[in-house]
This record gives sequence, C-alpha cells and structure tokens, in this order.
Amino acid sequence: MEYISPEGLRLDGRRPMEMRQLHAELGVIAKADGSATFEMGNTKVVAAVYGPREVQNRSQQLQEQALVRCEYSMATFSTGERRKRGKGDRRSTEISLVIRQTMESAILTHLLPRSQIDIFVQVLQADGGTRSACINAAALALADAGIPMRDLVASCAAGFLNNTPLLDLNYTEDSGGGPDVTVGVFPKLDKISLLQMDSKLPIDLFEKVLELATEGAKATAEYMRERLSENTRQLVSARGLLRF
Amino acid sequence: MVASHPKAGAEDNRGAAAMLQSKSFVKKTRQGRLLKIVREHYLRDDIACGAVYCSICDKSTACLSDTTSPILIVDTNVVLQQIDLLENLAMSNVVILSVVLDEAKNKNLSVYNRLRTICSNPTRHFFVFANEHHKDTYIKGMVGESPNDRNDRAIRVASQWYQRHLGGSTKILLLTNDAENRKKAREEGIIAETVQAYVQALGKPELLDLVARSQVENVFKHDVEDLRPSKRKVVYAEHKAMSEITSGLRQKIYHQGKFRVNRYNPFEAYVGSESVGDEIVIKGKTDMNRAFDGDVVAVELLPQECWQDGSGKIVEDDDEEEEEVVGLVPASADDAPKNQALEGMSEKSISIGIARPTGRVIGIIKRNWRPYCGSLEPMPLPAGGGGTVHALFVAADRRIPKIRIQTRQLSNLLDKRIIVAVDSWEQTSRYPSGHYVRSIGEIGDRATESEVLLIENDINTRPFSEQVLACLPPLPWSMSAEDLRNPYRRDLRHVRVFSVDPIGCKDIDDALNCTLLPNGNFQVAVHIADVTNFVHPNTPLDEEASQRGTSVYLVERRIDMLPKPLTEDICSLRADVERLAFSVLWEMSPDADILSVEFTKSIIKSCAALSYVEAQARMDDSRLSDPLTLDLRNMNKLAKIMRRRRIESGALTLASPEVKFEIDTETHDPLDVGMYQVREANQMIEEFMLAANVSVAGHILKHFPMCSLLRRHPIPTPKMFEPLLRTAAAVGIHLDISSSKALADSLDEAQGDDPYFNKLIRILATRCMTQAVYFCSGELSPPEFHHYGLAAPLYTHFTSPIRRYADVIVHRLLAASLGLNKLPDLLRDKSLLTSISDNLNYRHRNAQMAGRASVELHTLIFFRNRPTEAEARIVKIRSNGLIVFVPKYGIEGPVYLTKKGTKEETELVSDIDGKWIIDEEHQTLLSQDGKRRYKVLERLSIYIQVVEPQPNRPKLELTLMKAC
Amino acid sequence: MVGLSAAERVYIEDGIAQDLRLDGRGRQHFRSLSIQTGVIPQANGSARVRLAGTDVIASVKAELGSPQPGRPGCGNMFISVECSPTAAPEFEGKGGEDTNLELAKALQRNFLGGASGAGAAIDLTTLIVIEGKVCWELYIDGLVLSSDGNILDALSIAVKAALSNTGIPKVQVMGGLSLEEADFELSDNPEEFSHLDTAQVPVTVTISKVGRYHIVDATAEEESQVSSAVSVAVNSKGLICGLTKSGTAGLDPSILMDMISVGKRVGLKTISSVETDIAAAERTLEAE
Repeated sequence: MEYISPEGLRLDGRRPMEMRQLHAELGVIAKADGSATFEMGNTKVVAAVYGPREVQNRSQQLQEQALVRCEYSMATFSTGERRKRGKGDRRSTEISLVIRQTMESAILTHLLPRSQIDIFVQVLQADGGTRSACINAAALALADAGIPMRDLVASCAAGFLNNTPLLDLNYTEDSGGGPDVTVGVFPKLDKISLLQMDSKLPIDLFEKVLELATEGAKATAEYMRERLSENTRQLVSARGLLRF
Repeated sequence: MVASHPKAGAEDNRGAAAMLQSKSFVKKTRQGRLLKIVREHYLRDDIACGAVYCSICDKSTACLSDTTSPILIVDTNVVLQQIDLLENLAMSNVVILSVVLDEAKNKNLSVYNRLRTICSNPTRHFFVFANEHHKDTYIKGMVGESPNDRNDRAIRVASQWYQRHLGGSTKILLLTNDAENRKKAREEGIIAETVQAYVQALGKPELLDLVARSQVENVFKHDVEDLRPSKRKVVYAEHKAMSEITSGLRQKIYHQGKFRVNRYNPFEAYVGSESVGDEIVIKGKTDMNRAFDGDVVAVELLPQECWQDGSGKIVEDDDEEEEEVVGLVPASADDAPKNQALEGMSEKSISIGIARPTGRVIGIIKRNWRPYCGSLEPMPLPAGGGGTVHALFVAADRRIPKIRIQTRQLSNLLDKRIIVAVDSWEQTSRYPSGHYVRSIGEIGDRATESEVLLIENDINTRPFSEQVLACLPPLPWSMSAEDLRNPYRRDLRHVRVFSVDPIGCKDIDDALNCTLLPNGNFQVAVHIADVTNFVHPNTPLDEEASQRGTSVYLVERRIDMLPKPLTEDICSLRADVERLAFSVLWEMSPDADILSVEFTKSIIKSCAALSYVEAQARMDDSRLSDPLTLDLRNMNKLAKIMRRRRIESGALTLASPEVKFEIDTETHDPLDVGMYQVREANQMIEEFMLAANVSVAGHILKHFPMCSLLRRHPIPTPKMFEPLLRTAAAVGIHLDISSSKALADSLDEAQGDDPYFNKLIRILATRCMTQAVYFCSGELSPPEFHHYGLAAPLYTHFTSPIRRYADVIVHRLLAASLGLNKLPDLLRDKSLLTSISDNLNYRHRNAQMAGRASVELHTLIFFRNRPTEAEARIVKIRSNGLIVFVPKYGIEGPVYLTKKGTKEETELVSDIDGKWIIDEEHQTLLSQDGKRRYKVLERLSIYIQVVEPQPNRPKLELTLMKAC
Repeated sequence: MVGLSAAERVYIEDGIAQDLRLDGRGRQHFRSLSIQTGVIPQANGSARVRLAGTDVIASVKAELGSPQPGRPGCGNMFISVECSPTAAPEFEGKGGEDTNLELAKALQRNFLGGASGAGAAIDLTTLIVIEGKVCWELYIDGLVLSSDGNILDALSIAVKAALSNTGIPKVQVMGGLSLEEADFELSDNPEEFSHLDTAQVPVTVTISKVGRYHIVDATAEEESQVSSAVSVAVNSKGLICGLTKSGTAGLDPSILMDMISVGKRVGLKTISSVETDIAAAERTLEAE
C-alpha cells in the first residue's frame, strides 16, 4: 500500500513532516473548573478538570501532595464502526493511566496537599493520534482551571512507513502496520515526559522518528500557548460580564 | 527537520476554509456492516507544474523542458488502452494528472506499474502533477454528477490551469478518445484531440500501428474473413453485469474460478471452482465466451443432461480442427496431453467417462491479458500495398485465440515474430482485437525463436544492473585473513577435495572428499559453494536473484541467476584455488551407514575438477592406483550401497530421455543430437547430493519447524496412472501402483523380449508423475512432506546455490540453525515464505518449459535439411494413426496412417481403402483387410523431416517407412 | 452539586413564586438554545445542542439488520444515553449508569412508540429494505458533555436535530427469483442520501414543581429544589407522545393536568422555534 506517493504527498495531501490542522478551545464546559477541546485533524477530544477539591475517598488522601485521577472514555460514535464500550476495558485503563502519569509529572502537586484533581477526557471522534490529543486537551484544561504546573505538556505521534518518517499519523496510516511513536514533552524545560512505541523499529531509525515526534510536539506547544494567551486576553477584556 | 502544520485556514475566515476539505464515502465491510469513512483532504499551494522554463514554480522536480512540442495531458482511458503507445520513445513531454493515475491504479495495476516506470525515468519527460491537492485545480463533485464525470471535469480544469499557467510558452493539448469530453474541453477553451489524430499529425506511420482501436471503431466493413451478412450477427452471448454476477455468486447459481485452457486443445477449458468442488469443463468457443487463459471468470453450470466427460468429442468448425504436434517427450503429467480425445471410442472402452460438471462462461471478473509473442497468419498481400489491412495474429502459446490487428507494414511483418497486445473482444467479433507492439526478428531464426520462448516463459534476460553489480566484491578475489580467522570456518585445505561435473562446466557448486579414517570408517563430505557469504539479504543482488529464482538452461546459452564473476569465479569451487564452502560431513561405515553428521562453513582447496568421463575412466582403469582414484573408487562403492538401499525402500528409477546436442562452435547450429549418457560417475555424485539434501532438510526442520523451505513430490493419483496401466495391460504386464516401492518392483519385473522394453515402460511411467514443488513447512502437515520419487520423508535443495535461489534460502536457514547468522525477517514469516516458494515453483516450471522449448527448437533446426530415418516405438494408438517415440532423438509425435481429413492412406503405405479398426483393450490398430496390425510398444521404422505446409511455419513430421 | 444554604433555598422558591427566577427568566421561559448539526461527520446524522450550560451531542448511525419477527414491515430504532464524566465527577466509572438508563428509558418512551412499531417518532416502515429480511436499524446515541439542569429536554432536541440531519445511503433492490433470493446493492455515492421525515418527532418539555408553582427548564440549582416533575413529549401537531413523572412527591391529579397543559403549550412554542433553528443549522452546514 502506497502511503506516500513518489511525488512526496501522503494520502490526505500532507507532506511527511506536516501535522494536521490543530484547533483548540477553552472553557467549553460550564460546570467544570477547567475544560478544553482539542482537535488534531479529525480527532476531536474534550477534557474537563474538576479540582482542586476535597478528596472523596479519605483513604486515598495524600498528606504531602494532591491526588491526581484521570478517566478516559470514548463515545460509541467516535470510531467508524459504532462500538459500545465498557468503562473498564484495557485500552481505556491504560490510556487513563498514561494521561494521569504525564499530567502528574507536570502538576506542582506539593502545592495542593490533601486535595484531589480529577481529569476527565472524552473522545468525540477518533482518527489516529488520540493519545496525543487527549494529553494536549488535558494540559489545556488544567491551565484553564488555573492549576499550577511546571510547564505545559504537549504531545505528538510519528511513525515510519514506505521508508519515510511520517509526522502525526491519521487512522489509515496508523493501521498501516508500521511503528507508532508517541512522545509528550515539556517544551520550555525541553524534557520528555512520555514515550511510547508500538511495533518494531531499528535503533537508528528510532532516533529519527523520535526527533520528528518531538519537533511536532514542540510545534503543538507553540499553538497551545498561542491559544492560551488569546483566551486570557478575551477574559481580561470581558471582565465584568457574565461568563456566558 | 522542520515540522510545520498547514496554514490553519478554518479558523481564520470562510474564504480560506477551503484549504482543508473533507471527503466522505460509505463502504460495506466484509462482514456486511456499513462504514462511513471520512477523510481529510488538504489543498496545497506548493505544487509545481513541472516545467523547467516556468518562472513561478519550484523547479527541483521539473522535467518538462521542450517548448517546441506541445505538452500532452492524457485522460484515463488513453492510459489504460494506449499504454504501449505511451511507452514508445516518441511520446514525450506528457503530464500525468494524479486523478488519472489513481483511476488507472484502481482499474489495472499492471498498466499503473508500467506508467509509474515511465514517469520515474527522467529521460522520458513525463511529469506527475498532483492536481487533486493543488488548491486551484481541486474540484468538488456537483450534486448529481457521477464520479466519472467529476474526474473528467477535474482533467479539464487541470488542463485549463496549465493553459493559463504555461499557455504563453507552449501549447497545451488534451488527448482523449471520449467525444463528449473533447466537446466540453473545446467549449472551455482547451485544445483537445483524439490519440489517432495526434499520432497521425506526428507523421510517424509506424506509431499508428501501436494505436489501439477504440471500441467504437470495431465495425468491420472490410472483414478479411467474412463478408457474408449472416455472419455479422452476435457471435457470443453477452457478458452479464457485475452486480448480477455478484448476486449470482452469492446465491450459488454462478461459480467463480480461474479459466485454464487445455494446452493440447484450445477449445476445451477447465475452471476450478471451490463452490462446485470439482473442475468445471467448458467446451467449445461459444461456451468459452471470449475468456482467455488465466482470466477469473464466472461460470453457469449447464443442465445435467449436457454434462460431458473430459474426453468426449468436440464438434468444431472445420478450419479450427486441432492436430497433435511432434515435440519433446513429456517428462511429467504436466507436460503430457490431458484427456485427449480418442476418436472412435466404443462404449466398452476403459475410459474415465463419468460426466463431469460442464458449464459456460457468463462473465469475466478479471482479465489476465498480457502482451503475446507469435506471428501473423500467412495471407496474400493486398493489392497496392501501403494501406492499413487487418491481419490475424497467431500466438506462440496455443491456448491463446487468434487476435485481429491492423497494420500498415504487412509485407514487413509476415515473416517476423512479433508481440501483440489485446485491446478488446466484442460480442460481434469472432476474434479479439489487438494492436502490434514490436517485432522480435525473423521466424525460424534461432536467436529470434529463443527470445520468443524466453518472453513467453517470463524469463528475465536483461543484463544485471549497475546496482546489482555493485554488490559484488572487487576482482580478483581471494580469501582474506578475516575469513581464515573466523572461528566458525573450518580450515579443510589439507583435505583431498575434488569435483566431478559435465565437460566444460565453469560454475562448479559442489565438491567432495572421501577420506579413509584410521578406524576403518570413511569421512565423506560434500562441500557446497558458500554463495550466501557474498549474497546478502535485502541487497539489489539478492532481490534480483530472488526474482529470477533459478538459472535457465537453453541449448545454446545459459541465463544466469547470479552475475558471472560470482558463478564462474568467486563462488565456483575450481581446482587449485582456495574457496569458501558450506560443508556437510559424515562419518560413514564401510557399509555406508551414517554414524554422525556435521555441518560447518569451511575453506577448501580442490585438487582436481574432473569431468564425468574422466572420473569414470579413472575408476575403470585398473592400472591407476593414485590416492585420488582410490578415493573415487571408495566413494563409488559407498554410493552403490546407498543407491541400492534407496531403491529397496521404494525410490523410483525412471528413465528420463534427456537429449544432448552437439553444437557447432561457429554457427551455434546443432551438429548432432543424442541421448544423454548416464554413467556410474553421474549416479555416484547424484547419490551424495541426495544424501546431503536429506541431511540438511532434517536439520533445518528440527530448528525451524514452521518456516523451513522444503521440497515435496506429491503422490500421483490413480487417475494419472491410467494411461500407463492401460498400455502395460495391453502387453500383458501388471503394474502395482499401491506404493512407490510396489511400482519400483513391478517396473523391475517388467521385462519384454527386447532389452529396450523395460526402459520404454519406465519412460511411460515418467509421464504419470506429478511435479516436485517447494513449500513452506508451516503450511502442510508432516505426512505431506513426503517425496514420492525419492521415497524420502523429507527433502530440500541445498547443493546448487549458484543456480537455484531455493538453495540460497536453505543455506541461510542452515546458517541460522547453526547460530552463524541471524535469520532474515523474510524467512520468519510463514506467509511470506509461502509466496517465495510459489514464485520459485513458478520460475522453476518456466525454466523447465523454456529449456524444453529450446530443445524442441534445436531439434527442428537440426532436422531442417537433414531428413533422417530412425527407429521408433509405438506408445499410443489413434483411430487415424499412431503416436510414436523415437529413442535416439528423444522426440514423440503422431504418425498418420490416413491422410488428414480425407481418410485416404498416405503415399508411403500401399493404398488399401478404408478405415482402421481400433482395439482398446489390446491397444492395437488393425487394417480393414486384416493384413496389417500395429500394437503398442512395437518397433517401427519412421522418417523424420521438416516440412512447411504453410510459408514460415516449419514443423517436424514423422511418416511411416515400414514395420519391422 | 455544592450544597445550598437555607437562605438560598428560600430565595429560589420565593423567586419562582414571583415569576422571577435566578437568571431573570419567567416560569415558563426556556433558556437560549443553540443547535449545530453535522458535528460528527462519521455518523449518518448528528447534532449538538447547548441549552446555556447544558451541552449534549446526539448521533445517529444507520446499520443494516433484520426486522423483528413480530413486525416484518418495520425497521428498528435503538436509543442509548451516556453521561460523560466531564459533565460531573459523579459520572465517573459506573457512577452514571443509573442516570444513563433513566434518560434512555425516558427518550425511548417518547420516541420509540408501541410494540407494534406504530406511533414512533419516525415512520419505521420507511426503514424497510426487503420486507421481512433486511431493514435499516437506527442507533441513536446521546452523550452529555456538560450539565446544568434539564438534560432530558436538551437530549430530546438533540435527537430531533440529529434525525433531521440523518442521511441514509440509497439502496437498490435487485430482484431475485423469489423473495428469499432478492438482494440489494448499496450506493457508494456520498451525494445520494435519503432523509428521514421528522415532522412527527416530538420535543420533551420538563415541568418541575417547586413549592406550589411549576417551572420549565430548571437549572441545576433549581433542580435540587424540585419535589416532582413531569416530562411531556409534544409533537408539532400538539399531540402528546410520551409522559414521564419523576420525583418523590405525589401530585394531585388536577395539578398534574395543569402541568401537562403547560407542557403542551410551551412544547408547541418550543418545537416551532426548534424546527426553525434546525433548518437554519442545516443551511449553514450546506453553505460550508
């Protein structure tokens, strides 16, 4: 299957190093402390943050830091084929764990001891790169909630098909059987917070793909920062009026 | 490395929202569920037009440089139908739009691949323009517009864009054969032409021949064959629409399968169908309904009353009657004619007369057309030559029907071998229509005929590319210190190693040694050229070899799988040079019992490269007693014991009538032809090669039970033995076919009055055999691994990596099992290995067929101007003649006792009126007056000569001289 | 939900009694409504409805299936609802199951009609492909993203909008020798879609009783004070398609009838504005 034409165009017309169109919005859920939607191409995700608040389950309360919890769920209509998903299935659990760990490393939890921060991520449409979109949405939601963080977390995925590293795979390219490297970075600190890979890749190629994914994540971080600044500007100018 | 994202248009303003489009369509999955697929479609502003002289666009990929000739834009149908024209070097400066490329890919993958090859060649000046992603040339389908119309409109929009963009510098020309498209294009200000008009305007008449006829022009007013109005009616039934076929397949009223034409009777075909569970017989042109060999067709079964058995009579037009030809003796069931029509068969005959499912073709699901080699049917030149005439093309492959083409160079082509491609086959036309592609050379010319048989057997004769040759180590090569230091490579240079091969053999891939050990046992070893040390996986050299699969041996030349420096020098185990090898070492008792076996890579230095004749002479000469001769004799003794043991366990010794040509060194014409002599020395080497292959097979299977490459020989079915049993019974011999051992034993007992009798029976037995094939061990169960002919539970090919790619794979497997190398990824995957073995089987079969065809060709050349008398043996009887086998020359063919079609006797026989009486049970032919009788396996004296019943169609003919 | 103080509770009740609610609305006013259709391109039909702080998405997926044995001439419709934890932490894990079921059941009652298939929101006989053998099955999924009261009404509007947005691929029936062998083919062309007739699709209006008065479209805070509520599904002809009573307190029959008539009146007004909004949303979608 030809994923890149000899002219250097992918199936959707992008070049190998181009990301899909990004779109983010803040404050979409009224009742949440912080919320954001994040779209990467046709992948649409909404994240809501409730917290910091009192710990619901006393036994889980941590004395020195905040308790970060995360739940990931996919809507039944999010994939091409309608599939009813149970809440406890393995993929959801794994991604929930991944998001939680990534966010926890970003949040300055020692500033909010004995409290609980809940992050809920809901996938509305899945077209490849769901994990990255969820992390980005969660990061924006946390920023919207005003929770103190070390740095933003930005995430992007890259793969390797037809002998070329590809940035930001969509669902068709993801199903191509090639490797899939997801990376989450702290852009200002220039540190990698999340690294996952599927399938097999020789070491030297892995470095190239990792570099590409990191660049993509940094570009995403730029965009996120832009949106956050714009959002703040809007809030400042709308001060005094009702939120909605 | 810059990772940027496309300018985010959607959030800015409505106008720029156009940069990201979305395509959606509904698909039905295999489970019957519905899937709505939504895809992003990005539009770009950085797609170049491809012209070197353009001032705006990026020129890094530009290749259109000629401003004098127009830029041609072709539509999809032109690509699909006129690919031969596009491949011609006269076509240049062409823009292929991505919408055209995608449509071609969906409709015909081989045309797409050919187009891509042209486009990737910078000297052809073909540019691929991604119109679907260019922001100015992308269009959305309008409501009510069919996808085809939308694509046509896209082509026109792109042409218009080119007009605006480059119109000032060059002329833009749209080539399309669709009148509607041309009209609309002209209305929109684009210059559009048909392909015909353009080629004519070029002023190169030879190109016009390449122009395929569009279906509109298929109305023949000057039909060569039929002007009678009654014949211009619909000849064939209409093919049903695809939707009807799919629903019919689901309801099981139609059946799908591959159409296989009987090689010996082009008007009979078989469609293997899973849903019917048996092969469906298709008889006659009408029922075959324009299907070609290899097509995937849909078949409707006829009512049961009409079912026929495979060997029933065929009712056909007179001028289509097929005759048997004189050719090489069949070496297996695949070569032998299938279910021949035995005319005048009585009901009491022992035939396979169960009616088999018979049907007719009602639609073609996938066409398997390819360019065919052959020549034009002789016809008188039209008066006032130079105009376009219709001619009939007869393909070399007898399974292909005649093809009607148009040509302006009839006089030039009549005596040539040419290549023709098929365009279409209409209901109203008796023959398919095609067009001429190119000439190969004169008919009968040895080089031309050799090329034809190579093309027909899909054999790659192109010289090795630069990239392949770059993989070879530099010459002169000699062993390096590194090789010596390698702990896995045993130094066996001190061992007395020798090789025995045919005279003049330069690619020596095996050498042996037989050393007497102090304890009275022998250390016997087989050393095979270490090809995999030089051919590494995933290199161009390896890929080329994998594709070729095997070396092809024609009579006068050899087409190598690997480049000569490797085959004849670096890998070849020549005498007196140090060479790298892969060795199998046995310790054997004097009774040839294998006490231990070892596999290792090694360094050897052969002390002698003997020929079979030399080796045999040494062994026979009792005066000689030098160490080498003693080794040979010891080996021979062991070999004889091993052979006897094999035969006792059921190995078959069949006689294969291999024929050898003596070629004139200057003209390369055959000087003499004779049966290949098999000496003891041949059998000795063969024995150890077999033993090596068996040992290696066992070892690799133990380590890689799921992905070993092995070789099996399926047991022939009782049906396949029928002709042999019938013939043997007629002469009073009973053959037991219950097992290979039983057959071997009864073959031994089959002795007749003359010494050749037994050999003859063995030759007849050979043609009942199936073909041995390669397979992946993970795909079959152990009982199926059996090799019938060798009576071996396991077998593989290890001993000839220079000329067979299967051996290269087995070398890699063995090296991996010894821990010397990592097993390449390709070999870890069961399904990949199966597809590799399928390719190897295909290549092997083709090489065999090419080899046979080459021998047949040289036989013909030999007998040209050299008619000969020879002794023959009757192997089959017919109502109008006999099939005889000529041992001296290894050929077989018909001897007619009645003149074809007239039922009169031939001249050489006394003129007795009337038919011949056939006796099936005793396999005899009796003349009406009872005076003459011919029985199967009897001797006959015949006359071999080359005749030319039609100009430029020489063929061998056997005629009767007198009975002895 | 953060608890309300006693003062707040009194404030709410008294305000309602005086026809002046927390956000300034009258008792029978709906909050501002915004409808967007075609938000989920992968579904056959979808809509997103924002009723102030309440945000719901409904999607319709059409699949091929076989009709139920009792009704060979009707297609099938299935409704399910999921409350995303983004709406409230309570919906995390299995916490939302009860609410999901309750909402789904209420919608089913309003939209699905009787056991014979009669009285459904859309004419189920239009969903049949081959009588007795193949029919379309509509799977309607509601997702609650954000909740600020009155989820049921928002969901019903979303479902109505999604159904209007739904496009079913055109099917060509090819006759076989008999009914058993008849087969069909699907048109791949995305342009060829047939739309559903949603004229009969109702809209639910929930009337909640606070103190002695009833309000329409309660916010989350108001809902905490509601003793009992009646949800009435009304279609454009003013016919009542479904009725659900929720809440623990008992209702006097006369008050019940009162609430129902209020519901009908408000419903009719709402439905006409909803239909206008849906049409406008569809038009904006086409223009893109």
